Amino acid sequence: MMLLVFASTLFVSFAFAEVGEREASSSLDNAERGVISAYKATLKAEEAGANVSGLLNRLNEAEALLAHARIAYRSGGFDEVVRYASLCTEIGERVKIDADELWGRAYGSRSMDFWLAMAGSVLGIFVVGLGSFLSWRRFKRRYLKRILRMKPEVSSDES
Amino acid sequence: MNLERYRIVFATGSLVLMFIVAAPSIGLYVSFPRGEPFSEFWILGSNHLAEDYPFNIRVNETYSVFVGVGNHMGVSSLYLIYVKFRNQTQPLPDVTTSQPSPLAPLHEFRAFVANDAAWETLLAFRISEVSHYDNSVVLRRMSINDAVLEVNASATWNLAHKGFYFQLFLELWRLDEMSQSFQYHGRFVGIWLNVTSF
Repeated sequence: MMLLVFASTLFVSFAFAEVGEREASSSLDNAERGVISAYKATLKAEEAGANVSGLLNRLNEAEALLAHARIAYRSGGFDEVVRYASLCTEIGERVKIDADELWGRAYGSRSMDFWLAMAGSVLGIFVVGLGSFLSWRRFKRRYLKRILRMKPEVSSDES
Repeated sequence: MNLERYRIVFATGSLVLMFIVAAPSIGLYVSFPRGEPFSEFWILGSNHLAEDYPFNIRVNETYSVFVGVGNHMGVSSLYLIYVKFRNQTQPLPDVTTSQPSPLAPLHEFRAFVANDAAWETLLAFRISEVSHYDNSVVLRRMSINDAVLEVNASATWNLAHKGFYFQLFLELWRLDEMSQSFQYHGRFVGIWLNVTSF
């Protein structure tokens, strides 16, 4: 009977340890995925022209927590792993939200810049074209007038 | 100069002016060539200089170096630094084929580095367990930044240089955008350690 009680206690504790490790491993994976996803959103924001140095600093903070979680996982401190990983996941989610927001702002300002540049160029080309055409007409008129004002000289041939 | 020649001068001048006016829009489409992208990777002594590297190592004493990465890849990058340990016969990364060392990493650092920025960290290590035999030394355990690691690396007595030599080296890996996996970035740095005082 005593043996049975002892064996059941041992089984229960093993079962809990198993769940703890599995939970720790999955929360570590989730945190790693969350950080990578936040990093991808950061790169997208950077590509749109946003300044992402603040986001990268926060990602490094998340990465430091992940490093602690990995060390704790190796030494069997699964509670610590879950704690660090959930902190890291939280940072990753916030960075992703901020990166998406930054991307939206950078993209908006970039497309505004694009349309301004296009409108400026089209208007500029039109003004230059029209100016050149008018100047050319004026120049041509003056040139022809000058040519017509020139009187041909008749020279007599006395031979 | 006749009228036809004047016409050509006018047309050319107008086209040049139009090109100058359109330059901001053209700049949005044309990408100008920039320098070759690269990453810097360094290891410095405890005084932040390329000197005073730990060499003669005592058991249970902590030594520190600084490890840094400079990003000039044109975009922000996620770097992975593997810390590896070897004796004089074990392989280093292959410089010609740009392959990493097949040795298993003891420890790793990951860093997000903005373009044209640098990242640096302290690497403190301590050899905590060594077994000494007649002609060889087995390094059983060491710690790197408070993480205790099983090493189990052995070295035989080097007659020429009088010591048991190990090398602590670091490989630089970078997250590849296309494959979404870390790829060896063809850079490694290391320091030689002589473990003679037990």
